[in-house]
Amino acid sequence: MGFLSYAGRRAVHTAVTLVLLLVFMFVLFRLIPGDPTTLLLGTGELTPEAQQRLRAQWGLDQSMLEQFITYGRNLLSGELGLSFYYRRPVTEVIAPMLVNTLMLMLPVVVLAIGLGIAIGTWLGWRRGERVEELGAVLVLVPRALPVFWTGIVFLSLFAYKLQWFPIGGIRETFFYPESWYQFIPYYDVLRHLVLPVATGVLASMADPLMIMRTSLIEVRDEEFMVLARARGLSTRSLQRLARRSAFLPVLTYSAIMVGFAFGGQVLLEVVFTWPGMGRLMVNSVTQRDYPVAQAAFFLMAAVVIVLNFAVDLVYGWLDPRIRYE
Amino acid sequence: MTTPTGNSAVVDPDRFGDPTLELVLSRRQVLAFLGAFGVVVPTASLITAIDGSVSKAHAQAAPGQPVPRLAVYTPNWPDMVELWRQLSKDWTALGIDLDVQQGTLDTFVSQIVAEQKLPHLGSMSWGGAPDRLDPDYFISEMFHSRRALKGGLNFGFYKNESFDKLADDQRQAMDLSERQSLVRRAQEVVVEDSPSLILYHRDIIHAYNKKRFKGMKPILGNGIGFPYMPLAYMDIEALTPRKVLRLTSIYDIASLNPFQTPEIYNSTTLRLIYATFVTRDEKAEVMPWALHSWNVVDKTTVDITLKPDTKFHDGKPATVEDVKFTFDFILKHKFPAMGRVTDAVESASIAGDNTVRLKLKQPSAPFVANVLGYAFLAPKHIWENIPANLATPADWPNDNPIGSGPWKLMEWRKGEYIQFAANKDFYMPAKLDGFIAAVVPQMESMVGMLERGDSDMLAWNLDMTLGARISQNPDLEVVRTPTHGQHEVRLNLTMPPCNNVAFRHALQHATDRKKILDIIFSGAGVVSHGAPITPALEAWASPNIKGYEPSIDKARASLSSAGFTWNAQGKLVMPS
Repeated sequence: MGFLSYAGRRAVHTAVTLVLLLVFMFVLFRLIPGDPTTLLLGTGELTPEAQQRLRAQWGLDQSMLEQFITYGRNLLSGELGLSFYYRRPVTEVIAPMLVNTLMLMLPVVVLAIGLGIAIGTWLGWRRGERVEELGAVLVLVPRALPVFWTGIVFLSLFAYKLQWFPIGGIRETFFYPESWYQFIPYYDVLRHLVLPVATGVLASMADPLMIMRTSLIEVRDEEFMVLARARGLSTRSLQRLARRSAFLPVLTYSAIMVGFAFGGQVLLEVVFTWPGMGRLMVNSVTQRDYPVAQAAFFLMAAVVIVLNFAVDLVYGWLDPRIRYE
Repeated sequence: MTTPTGNSAVVDPDRFGDPTLELVLSRRQVLAFLGAFGVVVPTASLITAIDGSVSKAHAQAAPGQPVPRLAVYTPNWPDMVELWRQLSKDWTALGIDLDVQQGTLDTFVSQIVAEQKLPHLGSMSWGGAPDRLDPDYFISEMFHSRRALKGGLNFGFYKNESFDKLADDQRQAMDLSERQSLVRRAQEVVVEDSPSLILYHRDIIHAYNKKRFKGMKPILGNGIGFPYMPLAYMDIEALTPRKVLRLTSIYDIASLNPFQTPEIYNSTTLRLIYATFVTRDEKAEVMPWALHSWNVVDKTTVDITLKPDTKFHDGKPATVEDVKFTFDFILKHKFPAMGRVTDAVESASIAGDNTVRLKLKQPSAPFVANVLGYAFLAPKHIWENIPANLATPADWPNDNPIGSGPWKLMEWRKGEYIQFAANKDFYMPAKLDGFIAAVVPQMESMVGMLERGDSDMLAWNLDMTLGARISQNPDLEVVRTPTHGQHEVRLNLTMPPCNNVAFRHALQHATDRKKILDIIFSGAGVVSHGAPITPALEAWASPNIKGYEPSIDKARASLSSAGFTWNAQGKLVMPS
């Protein structure tokens, strides 16, 4: 019963947050000076008179309130509107980029969290040993390096010097199959994935890893662990027991990581010529493509919020110590 | 935005003592918005900074008082930042201090152009778009007082009636030599009044793989690789069995609908599919393209004759009906992207088997080059049948564009590449079978792809350092082409001391264009004599303009003659 009312309350809160987020996004992007017609003006491709016609055609001459009402009405009928820049439905603009981004970011997130938990447990277990001190530093170094720098180093080494991997892109743009193995489905995409995924994992592994390590160190000396040790469990079983209790904070953090994964990683995308959400979002802001920017940022934030909601719900199941009152 | 409260799982602290968890839970809502803030906040703070500097700059420099620090706004491109580093140094000799602010291009445009909030000075560069080969753009659009309005390019508020008259007259002068002389006089006035310090015309540097392809055609303002001039790709020939050229560019197109966007990369790329009525040859002179010929009947009447036996990509013949339809369609829907056509053309009527008569709204000397060179032949059988439920035909996705141009669209993968096949029915068919333009957002990757042989042509503007590195490779060739585009420093003429012509002459003398071009672009370009039109465009450049000799002494003399003095600290003081 406690759980149901808790879940209900959280669901309402989540819904309210999402609605406020929509309003916030709508206003936020319109606060930036200029509108979708401005850039054309400055490059001299649109005369001021033609700009006025375009603004009227696109409904930009209406007040922000009128625009919001139109936007809300469209939303209720399930339409995100037309992109100003592409003149296509927002979903059509975002969908292919989202697929590309998830193709890149999901492996990054899964590997970063998986490795983070594994290495974090290992390090935490060896708390105070030389290898733990060294390990923590080794993990933090790539975290501190800028993603674009690691990416460029990887590119110059593995793509340019050794020529093991392509210089960038999501697939062979200029596709002329030269060997039989190029016909293996996705071989081509996989080859293009290796360097950006490696760069992404190196940069994002440290956070879940350090959270895991800290949490494990705390759990390690809890009374139930002392008891387990006294019962003579093997080190492997002990580690498994500790890991299960320690990984909850990582789970919470994962929700955020997955949410941000939906927004892509703009630096990674630029360095590796990956056509994804990050580049789309930056472009949509510079182009003042409000509908696309709103939808993309909303998507990213909504995933974080909804996943957090989900995480909160499964917490009690994962950790019976938690009580809903 | 509100912070939802009481929504986290209730945790018994004694039994679950993890502070990290609490911290993460309370932080997450904030994190959700950080992405959006990260982009918007820096932009917003920049705007505040510009507004501040404009109001500061508006505080009039009083007679007899030291000249205030001059507020500068510039896009944050590396070459512009370096330009201001040089000018700040050089102009100290005049006792002038600068306060330079930089920001993104979109901020520059929305503040300086759209809102007309130029502080004392601002720098900008203008690309070599094909329509700018006609002098009208750099004369009328940039300096006519009519364009000193929000959204206009005369954002330094230059007003001179005799200049305006010359600019208007050249636009109407249908006789070439008469127009040339008016354009030259107009430029002489600009150089004398100095509303802008026009600096240089930076060369376009492209590179290609000469072991695989030949027949590159450098064209003024286009280089070998930009799509602005369709002729550039026509004679490229493969030296290996692969007859499909792979090129890289930073840009991608946004739309396949040629009525939708006036953005130059997009509109010129689509005009490879949709042949314009005329185009420019390698000497940048106007030549017929979809047309067989044109005839200026009188000042407001132009007859255009379609090339016989023209076919669209779907095999249907192009006729005089399609020509008339194209103009009727544009005039009916008043597409903002086709503003040049709607501003110029009154009506179109069939005047013969293959000829359409265009009535113009007013005499227009740039009409043939800029309107017929921008408008394209659209197939009536397709555009009259598009869905009627659209707000405007400009919103139609046009996923399968059918034109009559030299290239047919094969595939466009947004953000990745666009691929074309040669239209062998075109009257001057391309020698290639096709080409692919890949979107590569980073210069280093483009260079790497060219050097590794992944691409055959780098169709984006290189700098000399990268150019020199590429030249080391025996397979690759670097091509430098002059442009009519230009870099300039615009002055706000309503703001003292920039309103003083002697002060502007002093800045002209104190700006060593050659030195700056050498430092920033390793000398790859043409130094401007201060006129808006490059000396490389001989038809329009004025031989009388010799420019301002770079000399600090002359600059100081100009200031002294106007009553400026210097105080004990060597700072410039306004005339009393």
